[in-house]
Amino acid sequence: MGNRFGNAYGLTVLIPIKHGTEDNRSYDKIIRDKLQQWPLDEQSPLSKVPNTYLSRVFLLNDVFYEGAPAIEEHLKNKYLVFSSNFFGELDDYLTGMWNTIGDLLKEFLQHCVVFDKVNSSADFVRYIKRCQIKTSLFFNGSTDKPLDEQLKALYVKQAFIHFAYLSDHFRYEGERGAIKLQDAFKRFVNLIDIKNFNVPSWPVATQSIPADIELSVKAIINNVKEADK
Amino acid sequence: MSNIAGKSYAMNVITPITGWPYYLNRFIFSLLQFSISKQLGNAGFLGKIVPTALTDYVFGKLNGLLTLSLIHYARWAIIKEFPHLDSSQPKENLKYNYMLFFSNFNGSWTQYVDSFHMSIPEGLDRFWFKNIKYPGSVPLQPFHDYITYNQIWTNHYYNAYPVAASNDIKGAQELSDALTRFIAAGAEQESAEDFQTRYENLLLDQQRNLGLMEPTPIVSLSAEAVLRRESEDG
Repeated sequence: MGNRFGNAYGLTVLIPIKHGTEDNRSYDKIIRDKLQQWPLDEQSPLSKVPNTYLSRVFLLNDVFYEGAPAIEEHLKNKYLVFSSNFFGELDDYLTGMWNTIGDLLKEFLQHCVVFDKVNSSADFVRYIKRCQIKTSLFFNGSTDKPLDEQLKALYVKQAFIHFAYLSDHFRYEGERGAIKLQDAFKRFVNLIDIKNFNVPSWPVATQSIPADIELSVKAIINNVKEADK
Repeated sequence: MSNIAGKSYAMNVITPITGWPYYLNRFIFSLLQFSISKQLGNAGFLGKIVPTALTDYVFGKLNGLLTLSLIHYARWAIIKEFPHLDSSQPKENLKYNYMLFFSNFNGSWTQYVDSFHMSIPEGLDRFWFKNIKYPGSVPLQPFHDYITYNQIWTNHYYNAYPVAASNDIKGAQELSDALTRFIAAGAEQESAEDFQTRYENLLLDQQRNLGLMEPTPIVSLSAEAVLRRESEDG
């Protein structure tokens, strides 16, 4: 129960890294270097994994000593921590992950304990579940809609704001303006295709504002003005 | 290495906890989580027999957290045993259990920690109850020091919507739902005048969600400098 909040799932995984070296470099250093080279945003491997909202990977080298009179203790292993917030069921999510970035995972996790025995999506699901730490409390401050629905909503919001701004003067042009507003809105509804979550939509993990949203709304308003001449 | 992806910050904190506070914390977290599930209507059979008044009361304790609308997702997980997958892997021998805290929020580290400290100081003391050397959420500086000391940097942080704040996502859903209803409610032969009246009501009703998304505000000047450098590098 603790892993879920509505349809959102909070996954915490600690994957033990093998002790050993390759080319005089310890396995954890090799993993860290690879991780540091993962591209960001739209290019991140995690952008390919269906329904990932927010996700992170880091290395846990040791626990912290809190100072006297606390006990000083240390981990015997280093762990790769994967923490993800996503929509849907765990098995589906992990299967989706394996199917999209399985090749990268095979290479990336090769120095983790017994990962060499993972050869299929079913193996991968079992493996990750063995490394899972159950969530005690999961708080969802966002929506728990599927990612494509969230992205579509972002697109609709941005497009509608442009529409409201660019068509605003129609509201003050009396009866003729009302007709133009209604005409423009009908064209806007066709443009956004609100029930189609695939296109047009907000690009996943984009760092910039897609310029075509404003341009396409502007084109509608200009067409209505042209038609009225 | 970055804790920042667009407008979101990833915080990871690990703190030791032991003895009876460990069991009490587990119980409190379970009660809170159960109350959330009951509120959402998916608490199963137990949800039917546990009094709603009790779960409503417990859920009410989360009100402070709910008002922190800058949070996307936050999570606490207590490690009783570290994963042990094979005999070739040395088994951990630890006296303490360890509590992990993960958060995804908008804004800077300071804004977040200060917001927590100001709005739910009692909640923080409940979440980190009797964690080893937890100083309490008030006064602020020892709490800052505690979080800083126990925080681990993120190596790779991915955000499916870096330009959107948590409020953008929630607002976008509200607006999209309202727009869907608005479109469905339009009669075939609706007059332009009637349409305009409905449309203006929609604008009035949704005005809180009519803020354009922009890459600004930035989370930190250093993050902006990194982005600028990366774009210059091409």
